[in-house]
Amino acid sequence: MDRLLLLAMNGLIWGLIIALIALGLAIIFGLLDIINLAHGDFFMIGTVLAWATLQSTGSFWLAFLVAPLIGFAMGALIQRFVIQPIHNVAALSIVATFGLSLILQEGVRITYGPTPGRILPPIQSTIPMFGVDYEVYRLFAAAVAILALGGFFLFLQHTKLGTWMRAVRHDRDTAVALGIPAGQVYVLTFAIGFALAALGGVVAAPITTVDFRGGVDILPFCFMAVIIGGLGNLPGTAAAAILLSFLEGIIQSVADPTVARIASLVLMSTVLLLRPQGLFKGLTR
Amino acid sequence: MSAASIERCLWLIFAAFLVAVPWLIPMVISNFWVSVIAEILIWSLFAASVNLLFGYVGLLSFGQALYFGFGMYGVAIGIQDLGLSFWPAFWLGIVAAMAMALVTGIFAVRLTWHYFAIITVVFSLIFYFLALTNKWLTGGDDGINFTLPPAIDVGGLRMSFTDSTFQYFFILSTVALCFWLMHRLVASPLGKAFLAIRDNDVRASLIGLNVYLLRLIAFVLAGFLAGVAGALFAFFGRYASASYMFYHVSGEAVVWVIVGGAGTLLGPVVGTTLFIIVREIVSTHWEHHALIVGTVAILVVIFAPKGVVGLWNDWIARITERRAVPSGATQLRTEP
Repeated sequence: MDRLLLLAMNGLIWGLIIALIALGLAIIFGLLDIINLAHGDFFMIGTVLAWATLQSTGSFWLAFLVAPLIGFAMGALIQRFVIQPIHNVAALSIVATFGLSLILQEGVRITYGPTPGRILPPIQSTIPMFGVDYEVYRLFAAAVAILALGGFFLFLQHTKLGTWMRAVRHDRDTAVALGIPAGQVYVLTFAIGFALAALGGVVAAPITTVDFRGGVDILPFCFMAVIIGGLGNLPGTAAAAILLSFLEGIIQSVADPTVARIASLVLMSTVLLLRPQGLFKGLTR
Repeated sequence: MSAASIERCLWLIFAAFLVAVPWLIPMVISNFWVSVIAEILIWSLFAASVNLLFGYVGLLSFGQALYFGFGMYGVAIGIQDLGLSFWPAFWLGIVAAMAMALVTGIFAVRLTWHYFAIITVVFSLIFYFLALTNKWLTGGDDGINFTLPPAIDVGGLRMSFTDSTFQYFFILSTVALCFWLMHRLVASPLGKAFLAIRDNDVRASLIGLNVYLLRLIAFVLAGFLAGVAGALFAFFGRYASASYMFYHVSGEAVVWVIVGGAGTLLGPVVGTTLFIIVREIVSTHWEHHALIVGTVAILVVIFAPKGVVGLWNDWIARITERRAVPSGATQLRTEP
């Protein structure tokens, strides 16, 4: 029973982190209409930036500021110089982001190195929970993820830029006619998407490994969350990420992790076929 | 020269080159490059399966590696576990791939565009993970190694893949046959129906085409191409592994097709050749060749969105047009 609770808790926390990353993917997917194959690598860049910040300044906490900022800047540049020239054509964007993914992975392999590394949690203490000494950092990570998710939804609903993002997504032509600079909104969206993934990377860095292939596993999972939550349904995406990871955690207590992954893939194909609008259509707007 | 005669000339040169490879290449470069070219031929066929769906029917599949993998495993399991000889194993691989394409296609082609791309990748991931866990059958990531029985063993005539020239010509003729079939398919009424669906599926359904059924047929045919490629690759490497079913393999083929030129017969060949040659040349000198692959992919989609073959066609059209139409003459639009 303790083991089940432990795995469920781990799944829940991991799900909160994935929700951050998947949200980044969902806004890029929803607004720019492109399938971003480099999104997992945006996450991976976040873990590497956390490592780099720790190495150069000795402070892990600084990474929470540095990585999203660098991610934001890289995202803006990538949108402006790679995505914009192909006029958001979906098929071409797949190739472009696939190329981008190769460049990011290889770039990290050259600079960081090919061997996976670990970062020690900045909070070393543990508390007894579910019969083990549970890392306090994991609870902290969950709190950061919840704060970031909340902050993002507040930004989307209550700021001018957030409203612009929703407006362009809803009806680009009308938005442009009302004077909203759609081009800049695209840049902003992509930049925020990258920043969210990079932040997710920092939060996850002490839990997982720092590895140039770190994004490869994350990408399908984020897509699952986006699909099961419903394309363009942002709260649904976040909820689906948490739910999926939680379920995988529970299944892992009785079976192999791969079996858990297969189970969520099967769930995802069922959702795609029966409810392509996502599981939560009608519950949220 | 007209565009058509230039094309015919190039085709002849291309065909002559391919036939001469086993003698020409060892003289000019080395034996190693004969097998690189054989590999390019196999992967071109795999890219052609992506191209059939995307370039001719408008469905972007990100999971063709699944059918490639089934072709591979059909051969490997057929030879290693069932003790089949060469041809039955070949057929087992092809039939396994087509059957899988039929079963998954029944569900997948109900969806289009983003949803289709994602469900194909999901299906391939499911079977990738299944192949990883069921080591007793697939060998997982380590794969299955097997010894290949001779391809032809009639009376005194015994031909097998240990003869590298025979191996090359077997691969060349199989791939050429598949491309010829695809060429015929595209020109046939079925191919025209595919194009109608690609350009506008609503109109296609309004003129009475059964869009769902046609998409399913295309999906199974693409499974056939991928399955043949997978079976050939298993013969070529005497090896099958789950790692070839991962979505990266499918993704690479999509890149090859779009960089080469989707919707053209030769586009996949050009794209595949480009990337594999870059990989082979650069990777011996510099281990970070993926940087170049990524950069090339991005540059091509920005500057040549119709792919290399599209660029070439435009260029040929401009040259021949300039000769045919005197400057200043008004051009008539023949197409709406």
